[in-house]
Amino acid sequence: MRILIIEDDLQAGQYLAKGLRESGYVVDLAEDGNTGLLMATSENYDAMIVDRMLPGTDGISIVEAVRDAEISSPILFLSALGEVEDRVSGLKAGGDDYLVKPFAFSELLARLEALLRRSTTTTEATFLSAGDLEMDILARTVKRQGKRVYLHPREFRLLEYLVRHTGQVVTRTMLLEHVWEYHFDPQTNVIDVHISRLRQKIDKPFDIPILHTVRGAGYKLEPVSQS
Amino acid sequence: MKRLVRMFGTTTFRLALVYTVIFGLSVSGLFGFILVTTDVFAERQTETAIIAEVAAFQEAFQREGIPGLVQAINRRADPNFGWAGIYLLIDGASNALAGNIRTWPRDFDANDVWINFEVRDMSKAPEETADVQAQQFVIPGGYKFLVGRDLREAREFRGQLIRSLNIGLALTLALGMIGGVAFSRSIMGRIEAITSTCQQIMSGELSRRVPVTRTSDELGQLTLRINQMLDQIERLMTGMQQVSDNVAHDLRTPLTSLRNELETALYQTSDGSPQRLSIEKAITAADKLLTTFRALLRIARTEAGVQGNFEALDIVSIVRDVAELYEPLADEKGLQFDTRLSPVQEISGDRQLIAQAFSNLVDNAVKYTQPGGKVTLVAEQHEGCSSFVVADTGPGIPPEYRERVLERMFRLEESRTSPGSGLGLSLVAAVAKSHNLELKLDDNCPGLSVTLVFGRNSDSKDSR
Repeated sequence: MRILIIEDDLQAGQYLAKGLRESGYVVDLAEDGNTGLLMATSENYDAMIVDRMLPGTDGISIVEAVRDAEISSPILFLSALGEVEDRVSGLKAGGDDYLVKPFAFSELLARLEALLRRSTTTTEATFLSAGDLEMDILARTVKRQGKRVYLHPREFRLLEYLVRHTGQVVTRTMLLEHVWEYHFDPQTNVIDVHISRLRQKIDKPFDIPILHTVRGAGYKLEPVSQS
Repeated sequence: MKRLVRMFGTTTFRLALVYTVIFGLSVSGLFGFILVTTDVFAERQTETAIIAEVAAFQEAFQREGIPGLVQAINRRADPNFGWAGIYLLIDGASNALAGNIRTWPRDFDANDVWINFEVRDMSKAPEETADVQAQQFVIPGGYKFLVGRDLREAREFRGQLIRSLNIGLALTLALGMIGGVAFSRSIMGRIEAITSTCQQIMSGELSRRVPVTRTSDELGQLTLRINQMLDQIERLMTGMQQVSDNVAHDLRTPLTSLRNELETALYQTSDGSPQRLSIEKAITAADKLLTTFRALLRIARTEAGVQGNFEALDIVSIVRDVAELYEPLADEKGLQFDTRLSPVQEISGDRQLIAQAFSNLVDNAVKYTQPGGKVTLVAEQHEGCSSFVVADTGPGIPPEYRERVLERMFRLEESRTSPGSGLGLSLVAAVAKSHNLELKLDDNCPGLSVTLVFGRNSDSKDSR
């Protein structure tokens, strides 16, 4: 997987590049907007990480130009601006996700992996499966090992998000943003309670748990191979 | 009527009253002095006139004896002269020889030179009695002679004077009263302006200033100084907040680097090693700090009042979502979680901020309520406004701290041991302020009830 980082803060860019390389990605780093735009349009990247504030061409313009060139690789915005309106304008320009600086590397990695996964699954599937777990999105039904599991609507959405990102780390912030559509930190880790409720239903009655906690990062759904 | 009672109670009015009384007393003193001097003057004038006439009669008597005197008296007592002077000359048998009264008034002590008596007016009004002051003489040969003056005119003048002075005094007092009331009212209005501004400032509107009408007088100067003082206080307070906001902003980046380095270190340690636990703890601590800083900055931004994301919101659905988010947590803690949400009108606001405000309130309610307690969420539509209540049966907040808990980082002593940053309610207050909502903290008997009122605040402000 090849990733382009466009970031003018050298220290931050290099830290990011190093971390991604250690995670197994091939990384190119551009330090200003014009170079970044050139690289983005001439090379072929699986995903791009773009800072919003850049010398030369700013992040929004780069993303717009990239989308105009019909390049559909997922783009993750980085920004020191944190408010919702900035997020909205970034996503409107063609970005796929938005992360406010400063951020934890694990958060960025989780989001990047979610974006890369999304770009490989082309359409929003209406029938999902992860090992012995099956979800019918339209009929709102869940089965594990062929047995029906009854979930509340929110639990269903929570599981759906986890299943769509099977095998990836999903952070609490990501869950809040996508399942609850909240862009703030609740004071207590309320998400943990919802996860434990979900576990009661999809893990407890069965032999092998599939919903795992990743310490310091979030959660991961690891399917049981049906062999 | 109430206003009148209040006016009587004010210091300025009492001052005006005291001044009126003092003024009235000094004016009466002055008038008394005028009266006394006038009396003395009038008396002396009468005496001088009598003495002058006596001298003239004496001259006539010395020159021509009794006949000369009679002649002189007759000339003076001519009714054409008026009735200014009163004369009488009698012989030893009390027969009147000359004069304009008929009989000697009564017997006087022969040693008295000055005598006073009353006599019937002989000139125009016989039914009237004249007050007379006179000098009496005994002339050898049994004759008695008196020269006097009718005092009525002087008395009348005196009465007139007293009447005038009384009217003057009444007028002075009335004017003093009216002036005092007017003065009191104008001063009271200006002081009231200062008082009401101070009250508004104490209720949190730090940007309010006392309206300046006049700068020349002392009260105007006082107003200016108060406003300058408020400027200074506001500058200091915003300065302090800015420092904390800047600290939060500037420390975020190094803190994130720290966290990232810790994370890198975490990946390099093997599972189950003792270092791993320490690093994990350090990461949790760093996350807590970052959350606090994020919350501080969010409050600062909210207070700055950016309204870019305002949209029409169904608050009840937001509250329902928050309730749904926290219900499992409350359930796990063994709390009863009640929601009574009736539909309310749409309100313009920022979805994320409103959601966070309710999330913070419910978070607090769940956090501080002991197992077996109850958390209640209520939404109600009233006439012209809608109210939302988050109530718990926890320890509550003593009345004296209900304002202070809205300050940043303020925490009650009892809650210092529980997790939290002391920013939850500050954000609620900031959201309430930026959305023009009324925020009330009350006793839930037991526990705390927090009410957010949408609509009423802005309406009352418009109609004011």
